Amino acid sequence: MSLGPLAGTAAQVAPLVDPGALLATGGAVDGLQTATRVLAEGIGKGAVYFTIAVGLTLVFGLMGVLNFAHGAIAMVGAYLGGLVLVLLVGANTGTVATILVFFVALALVFAVTTAAGSAMEVTLIRPIYDRTPTYQILLTFGVSLIIEEVARIVLTLRGIQPNPQWQAPMGTAPDVLLGRTELLGVGVRRLYLFEVAIGAVVAVAVWAFLTKTLYGLYIRAGSEDTEMVQALGVDVRQAFTVVFGVGPGLAAVGGVLLMWDPIWGPSVLLSIDVLLYAFVVVIIGGLGSFTGTLVAAGIVGIADSVTTWLFTTGIVTFPGLSEVTIFLLLVVMLILRPQGLYGVEEVGGH
Amino acid sequence: MTTLELDGVHTYYGESHILQGLSLSVEAGEIVALVGRNGVGKTTTLRTALGLTPPREGTVRFDGTDVTGMEPHEIAARGMGWVPEERRVFSHLTVEENLRVAAHSAADPGARIAGAYELFPALDRFADKEAGDLSGGQQQMLAIARGMLGDNDLLLVDEPSEGLAPQIVEDVVEALRAASADTTMVLVEQNFRLAMDLADRFYLIDHGVVVEEGETAGVTSEDERIRRYLTA
Repeated sequence: MSLGPLAGTAAQVAPLVDPGALLATGGAVDGLQTATRVLAEGIGKGAVYFTIAVGLTLVFGLMGVLNFAHGAIAMVGAYLGGLVLVLLVGANTGTVATILVFFVALALVFAVTTAAGSAMEVTLIRPIYDRTPTYQILLTFGVSLIIEEVARIVLTLRGIQPNPQWQAPMGTAPDVLLGRTELLGVGVRRLYLFEVAIGAVVAVAVWAFLTKTLYGLYIRAGSEDTEMVQALGVDVRQAFTVVFGVGPGLAAVGGVLLMWDPIWGPSVLLSIDVLLYAFVVVIIGGLGSFTGTLVAAGIVGIADSVTTWLFTTGIVTFPGLSEVTIFLLLVVMLILRPQGLYGVEEVGGH
Repeated sequence: MTTLELDGVHTYYGESHILQGLSLSVEAGEIVALVGRNGVGKTTTLRTALGLTPPREGTVRFDGTDVTGMEPHEIAARGMGWVPEERRVFSHLTVEENLRVAAHSAADPGARIAGAYELFPALDRFADKEAGDLSGGQQQMLAIARGMLGDNDLLLVDEPSEGLAPQIVEDVVEALRAASADTTMVLVEQNFRLAMDLADRFYLIDHGVVVEEGETAGVTSEDERIRRYLTA
């Protein structure tokens, strides 16, 4: 999912849209069935994008901090989750046991990265709250680079990558998830349905946390006016620490989901790729908006799915169509509605 | 008993020296008005008391405790409430949720909020409405109710009549009178007559220091000692 394919497209001489393929495809497939499959896969992708992006928007909404290390932590989540699966899942492990191990990996990764995120807030972010946002951007970007380089060093020293043999985490995905299930007469990948289920659980959990708990109330109030919340006797710093932990924790959960995804899989490049997609989602949805992130993740996921279908069926021969479309969506949103679908003009911060 | 005491306070915004050795005290049960031209340091005095803009020099005592340098939430938790300029309600939260944030530390938040609705019946009707959808007067009522909910000994009220129609201002004044029955109050108000009507004593501030103080009874903006500090 990197932007790499774009670099090669300039040299292509084939037409970007193949009318023959368009006609052939149009005549061969049933429109409704295709639409159902593409939509289901788009919602699956959207669920993963939501899981990753919602933490970014929570952190920005409350604290006004754009965490550029968000993608790197998702990448760490993918590898940590993969490590748990490689260690615990063997050839004789059954489907149910594998899925249980997956959830153990999910919980473990969430706990570890949430703790790491909170520690990062206390030690690195808190001392620079009073400085301009440039400091926060540079610092979190620096953290991202350090995490990426450490990951490369560890992966190289341990012989994990670039050795292609280490696709074990993807290999641990149980057959039940790799198959397809019938939905309105169309075979939809069960992995996407699994991702939708996890994404839905994350969405409900985050929504319940924000709307049903006192802490969530502080966060929603703090995202509008941090100073006023403090003046009402609430220790906003505690909320900052919790949210800056939970945000990366959710990113890492998204990373674990990507680990089984044949399109993504564990890779150091996840760091930047995931960050770009997360930024697109939160900007289209509106920085700091939970609802906006949910809707935008769905839009981006479906756009991704439709454009991927256009390419894989040969209707469009431009391999970077998906990335270009998604970033075009971003550009159009920034021109027409800079605050995003559900964003307010000013949020969070100090 | 002295509820609030500022002693030789110097407060800055960056390099701008706003409060230049300001001192004042507020006794329990009284309403004290801070008056003066725009930009002389009235709002900064309230922000300094609450720790939002901490002083570089001087001391702030609240209920006999030195609170200088404490975090705002620590000072607020000791019983200092704030009704800020321009209301600053949480516009995307409902009226009820706005009040719940303020009542978080109460032993029985529900009872505290019910008490606020008794004092401000208009708010009860809009409990489930987003605060941003309320009128200016209703938002001011909500801001006052929110400031009172923390079981506070002291309420800092900043420009409560700003931007409100005269009829609504009367309602707000009644609300403040009701609030003052239980709470000591420091009031910043541009409307001099309104401030004198509400308050027991006043401090006239100019260039970050107190230049006049006294009882409000019989004081008008036409008094020479007042007028020269209120006119440009």
